[in-house]
Amino acid sequence: MAAPRDLPGRPAAPGRAIGPAFRAEERPVPAPGAPGEGDARAALEAAVALAVAELGELAARSDAESAGILDFQIELLLDGELTAPAFARIERGEAAALAWAGAMGAHIDTLATDGDAFALRAADLADLRSRVLDALAGRTRADFPDGAVYVGRDMPPSVFLAHDWSKGGAVALAAGSPASHVAILARARGVPMVVGLGGLSVGNGDRLLVDGTQGVVRLHPEERLDAPPPDLAVRAPAALLGGQAGGARLFANIDTLADLDALDPASVAGIGLVRTEFLLAEAAEALDEERHLAAYRRIVERMDGRPVTLRMLDLGGDKALPGLVAGDPGSVLGARGVRFLLAHPDLARLQARALIRAAALGPVSVLLPMVTLPQELSAMAALFDEEAARLARQGVPGRRPPLGIMVEVPAAALTLDLFAEAAFFSVGTNDLVQYLAAAARDNPAVAHLHAGAEAAMFRLLDTIATAARAAGRPVSVCGDLAGDPAAVGRLVALGLRELSLAPSRLGAVRAALQGLTGGAPG
Amino acid sequence: MSETAPSHAFTRIAASHRSQVEVEVTHGVGLHARPSVAFTRLAKSFPCTVEVAVDGSGEWLNGKSIVKIIGARIRRGTRLRIRAEGARAEEAVAALSELVRRDFDEDRRHGRADGRADGRPA
Repeated sequence: MAAPRDLPGRPAAPGRAIGPAFRAEERPVPAPGAPGEGDARAALEAAVALAVAELGELAARSDAESAGILDFQIELLLDGELTAPAFARIERGEAAALAWAGAMGAHIDTLATDGDAFALRAADLADLRSRVLDALAGRTRADFPDGAVYVGRDMPPSVFLAHDWSKGGAVALAAGSPASHVAILARARGVPMVVGLGGLSVGNGDRLLVDGTQGVVRLHPEERLDAPPPDLAVRAPAALLGGQAGGARLFANIDTLADLDALDPASVAGIGLVRTEFLLAEAAEALDEERHLAAYRRIVERMDGRPVTLRMLDLGGDKALPGLVAGDPGSVLGARGVRFLLAHPDLARLQARALIRAAALGPVSVLLPMVTLPQELSAMAALFDEEAARLARQGVPGRRPPLGIMVEVPAAALTLDLFAEAAFFSVGTNDLVQYLAAAARDNPAVAHLHAGAEAAMFRLLDTIATAARAAGRPVSVCGDLAGDPAAVGRLVALGLRELSLAPSRLGAVRAALQGLTGGAPG
Repeated sequence: MSETAPSHAFTRIAASHRSQVEVEVTHGVGLHARPSVAFTRLAKSFPCTVEVAVDGSGEWLNGKSIVKIIGARIRRGTRLRIRAEGARAEEAVAALSELVRRDFDEDRRHGRADGRADGRPA
């Protein structure tokens, strides 16, 4: 038995776990700016071929009636008239999944009229769209054994989200950052995580102890861990409080339906932030209006009348969606958030329709990520108006939801008075501080500047709170700062009384806020 | 129905590597999904180009494209012109017009109407 050996890293998500190592295969990272046109074309060709083969197998074991329908779908996929627009989009630089979904969406709008036997059926086209997207995603989907320690250079959020963490396990990364999205997810889910381990000489199946509190990974540990103590602070008395704590109202951030199921709806005032890019973490889901709606419906129904704020897909930057948009940490100053959505109106309209339909089910608000200028809000508002009118014409129940903006770009934070169209504001402190300090949150070399920029951050938060008050608009804080027991007192003092945080932080923040008011609940 | 009987709805213009025919659609509904699959699969089994035009329309559509065929709304009673150019053009036109005149074999082979001849795409 090999001797224990400690590998020093940086803590990213607290907790300790032991498990066998699972070494993730290194995938070549696409060069920034290179859309990889050849790759995208080959990927789509392969996905279409796979879809045709699947349909062929399905047809071979189906009854005659079903086989006829499947043959029709096969014939459609083999028809260059149908696929050419997708390949044309790839030539213009779009990723494979987005090109396919956009082209099929356009076909559904222009070709499909379900009126007679001679029209292409929208259902057939939507079915083909999903099947090919699944085929595209299938090549990149790779889960790992339950209870294993994921070992890799970095970890795509979609891989984290696709895994079942209820059986334990942990994450050990050679690179990575405590401020990355996957670290945020790990803290929210209570999965221990250590980053910045450098070169990791760990074999598949080696026993590892990951101590995410200390930031150390122990190879071949001798100790055994008892079952982790339950997070006592999170539960019991919270339910009585209905989200009220020390003059603040507490909301939950939700990334997945598992987060939702673990949350006691009575313990919060509502859902302050749903990161839909994590909720729909596969391209096949993100590009399927019905899957959006199904996920939103689950949330709205579980919250049972409490407000739910859904944020539109915040893609680009360090958030990739395989087949849809390549992750590129260098593009945190590029086309991400609402910029990406406005540049890909097919995707924006698809999500807008699902959000409008979800808003008919309960008190839903919609949050736009990475807004810089009022014109971006206006453009998205017009898009929502158009889609709401279209749904109304089609007789589909819907309600145009109020639109608010994320305050995470300094240019917007300093000019909230110009955003009269915004129904509400939500401060994304993680991005705001990285832009304020000009220090990328994924770069460990400049991570100390985030803490150092705290004074600037609180001055700006004061400005934001004052501007929102003057405009008569609600303002909430939904970044990590809202889940930091050491910071929430200062937020409340600034008048920022609506805090939205990871469910795992609710207990600690509630305790901190009640401490401020002498411990009396309320 | 006789396989060769020419009629007002069935005239052939023969040329080298180029062939054209006009045929009346007699199938109950017309070229909805299943007959269209039979038509395009048969068309694709030939190396020549295949195009169709509906009634008096001067617009020739790709006869190997299901999107084009179904979009042409070829109903019962439609006079369909089929033309082909290239290798085995005459054979293609004959086979496709026969398929139309046989009502796409739907009566005999309900379901898998992918043509009796090489129905798989090339």
